[in-house]
Amino acid sequence: MLEPVMFTGGLYKHDLVVELVEDLGGYILQRNLTQTEIILLILVPSEDMALLQALAKELRGELVRAPLAGTEVAVVTPTLAIHHLPHTACDIAEYLRRHGSKTNMLGLARGVGREIAQINEYETALINEHDAAVFIFGNFQECIKKKESLYRNISVPVVVTGGPQIEAKDLPYAFEYVPAIGRVAHRARKATEIGTLDRIVDSVGRALDKTRASIAKDPLTTSPPRVMDAVREQVPDVQFSYSPLPIALNLTGVRVKLPYNAYKDAVKAVTFDEGVKLGEIATIKPSRMKDYILVRILSASETGFVF
Amino acid sequence: MDPMEVFKIEVTGQEEFGAKKYRELIMDILQDLGLIRSIGRLYVYVDIFKPFFAVYGLLRSGIPPLTVKDVGDVLRVAGGYQIKINDEEHMADLLRVLWERYGRERVEQPARDIVIIASDTSPSGLMVADLEAEFLQDLTDALVRVAPEGFRNRRNIMTKDSFFFIAAEESLTPVMVSEIKGKIREMENA
Repeated sequence: MLEPVMFTGGLYKHDLVVELVEDLGGYILQRNLTQTEIILLILVPSEDMALLQALAKELRGELVRAPLAGTEVAVVTPTLAIHHLPHTACDIAEYLRRHGSKTNMLGLARGVGREIAQINEYETALINEHDAAVFIFGNFQECIKKKESLYRNISVPVVVTGGPQIEAKDLPYAFEYVPAIGRVAHRARKATEIGTLDRIVDSVGRALDKTRASIAKDPLTTSPPRVMDAVREQVPDVQFSYSPLPIALNLTGVRVKLPYNAYKDAVKAVTFDEGVKLGEIATIKPSRMKDYILVRILSASETGFVF
Repeated sequence: MDPMEVFKIEVTGQEEFGAKKYRELIMDILQDLGLIRSIGRLYVYVDIFKPFFAVYGLLRSGIPPLTVKDVGDVLRVAGGYQIKINDEEHMADLLRVLWERYGRERVEQPARDIVIIASDTSPSGLMVADLEAEFLQDLTDALVRVAPEGFRNRRNIMTKDSFFFIAAEESLTPVMVSEIKGKIREMENA
């Protein structure tokens, strides 16, 4: 089983970490370079963790478990106005990132108000491309209950956050509800506020575990990190993408950040060592996010094999 | 302790948490914009079921306009007046006012904090900025920030010593406005 971890350390000799991970059959999911420091999101076989830990210690780096690595989470606010940003939404998004998730912030076009709040088909489809969503609501329980219509049609697990205590039975369409983080006009600093952020991360972790468990019942033909590696190798133009993460991982596939029409055939033609083409084991379709390519790996019951 | 003499907030329904949080939120926003010292009393009434959001506040004594002598020392020199700037915050306003009054050719700035005017009339009494108007602008900005975002039908009545702000999702009707006024009056007299 692959263990998700985050390595933070100096730039000097970090290649040793990359080489070790590749030798062990693991994957480098993301590489963030900040002047002399580097942050690597890594998937490494759990039985070989000790080797990586020893190397991280030798390089004076830090190795921590990143339970959300390899997943994409949408942080949804009613709009991107000053009422919801920057404090709550940015705190939650940043906290999820620190635990390894790829987080996208999404402001709805008409999500404001109590009676007038609405979500459109495009926004719903875009959120459904993620592995989980966090909806950030305010301080009044009547409004939080009423705004259930915003996430009722979303098929990925939705974690709802808000200020007051609300019984789970009052929000039947939410995966979980995390209270004590409604609309605030300051950054999360106090221990209680940080504790609430931890609870959101735990809740998102549980939501992702639920998705993982349902995938395990009918496993994917191949794993998304393997697809990512193959695309990175065989479609070299992806490294010229301006996006900080040219291939984003999901639990059921990847999003390749290249124009769909120009590169869909190249992505379909990506071939694995077993001789199978990506187009045969996955659906390649346009993503709702910009003009990107969305790769959704088919399950074993559809293709009849796993490799 | 609240810096205001009175700060009451009332929310309909079982929304004690919301009322408490809105109190903190209003304090945070007023403090951020540096307005809290200028407000004496504040009454907030929120009806979540209608829904609308209303704020009524009484202002502390008026703020006098800022004149040239408030931002710098005015000295009589040969051929005119010299202003030695102490507060650079209003420099742009000061130069604009001097240019308007004396013309650009008679206003000279030999150093960053020195302005010399070639004129026999003293600029001491000229108004540089109307601080009260700026305060009222900031206050309106604060009220728009405080009100829940979807409440886009707004009415803001400002007088010399008070303000009354209503924001609602639906159109504001005279019946609604008078009902809110009545509620605020009840809070004042309670």
